[in-house]
Amino acid sequence: MKNNDVILQVTTKVIVFIIVLFSIYIFFAGHYTPGGGFIGGLMTSGAIVLLLLTYDIKTVAEMLPLDYKLVAAAGLFIAAATSTGALLFDLPFLTHGYWEIWLPILGETGLHTAVFFDTGVYLVVVGVTLTIIQTIGVSE
Amino acid sequence: MSFQLLLNVFLAFLWMFLQNSYDTSTFLIGYILGLIIMFAFRRYFHTRFYVGRVWAIIKLILLFLKELVLSNISVLKLVIKPQLDIEPGIFALPTDLKKDWEIVVLSNLITLTPGTLVVKVSDDQKTIFVHALNIGEKEEEIKGIKNTFEKAIMEVSR
Repeated sequence: MKNNDVILQVTTKVIVFIIVLFSIYIFFAGHYTPGGGFIGGLMTSGAIVLLLLTYDIKTVAEMLPLDYKLVAAAGLFIAAATSTGALLFDLPFLTHGYWEIWLPILGETGLHTAVFFDTGVYLVVVGVTLTIIQTIGVSE
Repeated sequence: MSFQLLLNVFLAFLWMFLQNSYDTSTFLIGYILGLIIMFAFRRYFHTRFYVGRVWAIIKLILLFLKELVLSNISVLKLVIKPQLDIEPGIFALPTDLKKDWEIVVLSNLITLTPGTLVVKVSDDQKTIFVHALNIGEKEEEIKGIKNTFEKAIMEVSR
């Protein structure tokens, strides 16, 4: 006896994209306003968890063929590499630099290496959250 | 509809490139000019001119707001009555809508208007099971409401 989940599935089709876009906004808002890598990663995981609730694990694995353990590892590597990069310039560990760069469309933009560190945090959060949830889901 | 919308946006961008000024007002002028051109050539498209569909969506929203207010008032009347003389029940509502999103929009409209609540959509998507707060003589009236909703949704997707 399988339920007809048409309402949930069509609603999810629309909502997932809104959640992911909002999580990216939160990620980039983190420098001046509340937000950042951790909450952005949690919201992206939340969107994928919504997909997991709507469909089953196999379908979501076909949609997003990612090994989340590798995602977490890549995030950790990015964060560590950004931190140790300061040592190349004879600066203490975890020192961040920034440049004011003129970009063709955006105009005067401040680029900061903390974004890379935050990207690492983001990927670690997504990887760890989904690894936990999928491991619990698969086990009988 | 989506092809016509994309063509209209493309024409607006083309107008911006021809004018060599990239701001919102130029885009709007180009969009309106594209709309006029597409209206003149509207028989060239396989589907109907998309402004009618946008108008149908606006009409659907207005209908929903009207029904929301009216049915909330009727439920309020039921709530503040001293004696509870409601007769709840579940009835099957046959629907002619085919596409998934039409079924979802109809179900959400039924659910968001108080007094009725969608319980389940059948597997072949030809029947929607609705829980009604007052099933007695209301059933005909409810079916009438559903027909207005269904008609409005049909207008959008025709």
